[in-house]
Amino acid sequence: MIAYERAFFPLFLHVLGAMTLVGAMLAVLVLAIAAWRRPEVAALRRAAFGTLLVLAIPAWVVMRAGAQWIYSQEGFNGHGDPTWVGIGFLVADAGLIVLLATSGIAFWWSRGGRPIAGRLVGGLTGLYLVMLAVAWLAMSGKWS
Amino acid sequence: MTTVQWLLTFHVTGAFLLVGGSVAAGVLNVLSIRAERPSETALFLRLIRPVLPVVGIGSIATLVFGLWLVHERDLDFWSFWIIAAIVLWLAANALGGAGGRHQERARLRAEQLAAEGDTPDDELRAILRDPRGNAMSWLAGLATLLLLVDMIWKPGA
Repeated sequence: MIAYERAFFPLFLHVLGAMTLVGAMLAVLVLAIAAWRRPEVAALRRAAFGTLLVLAIPAWVVMRAGAQWIYSQEGFNGHGDPTWVGIGFLVADAGLIVLLATSGIAFWWSRGGRPIAGRLVGGLTGLYLVMLAVAWLAMSGKWS
Repeated sequence: MTTVQWLLTFHVTGAFLLVGGSVAAGVLNVLSIRAERPSETALFLRLIRPVLPVVGIGSIATLVFGLWLVHERDLDFWSFWIIAAIVLWLAANALGGAGGRHQERARLRAEQLAAEGDTPDDELRAILRDPRGNAMSWLAGLATLLLLVDMIWKPGA
């Protein structure tokens, strides 16, 4: 029961992208925590980087494209936009920096296996999940 | 915030946990099938366990807060999209459970092989590539996707 009287496809793309992004980051967090306990298993590091590259980044693109599509279709113009729209864009755009930084560090981690890299990946992934939770709470509750 | 806004927040949070958790479980399942050694297969399948409470809480929250919203907004409970949502919710849970039992079988065999030299055998390969077992998980994912389509499109609303 996500929305009434809104165009289906852009909202579907936005929500599907956002939910897939949350799932991808959750998988990376689980892999990073497991690798913390089992640093000798290189498959965990490779899987974390692969998940970011193959799933999380494409999901971000779908989520952000859907958001821009809805934004232009629903007549927002940057003047007097509701708070929840601002929070959504802030998390989406700042989140890209966090996502790319996490992916870069995950690549370094998958190659070298340095424990600090794994901890950074876990920490940034947890931070990004919190940011995404704030965004979905603000957008579903329509914080004004 | 109004009661409806609060309920919608909890309902959407449930949906994020349900779909996000299902995606995470799906990723770990795919990783287990693609793993080279039985010990890695078993490890990836074990990692699905901490994700299951996320899926469970999300699943219950979507249903409870969704039905509460139907009551609060005075919607027709017998509308096509609400009945479809309940049917898809039941299907996703039943298929997900069946897929989980298949993964558990694969994990047990993988752990056995990991303790006996960590070399895959035909039995493990057959379990991991069993079309019926894997179909359960993919169909559960499809039912969840259709549930999302139904919630946004609301056919018959």
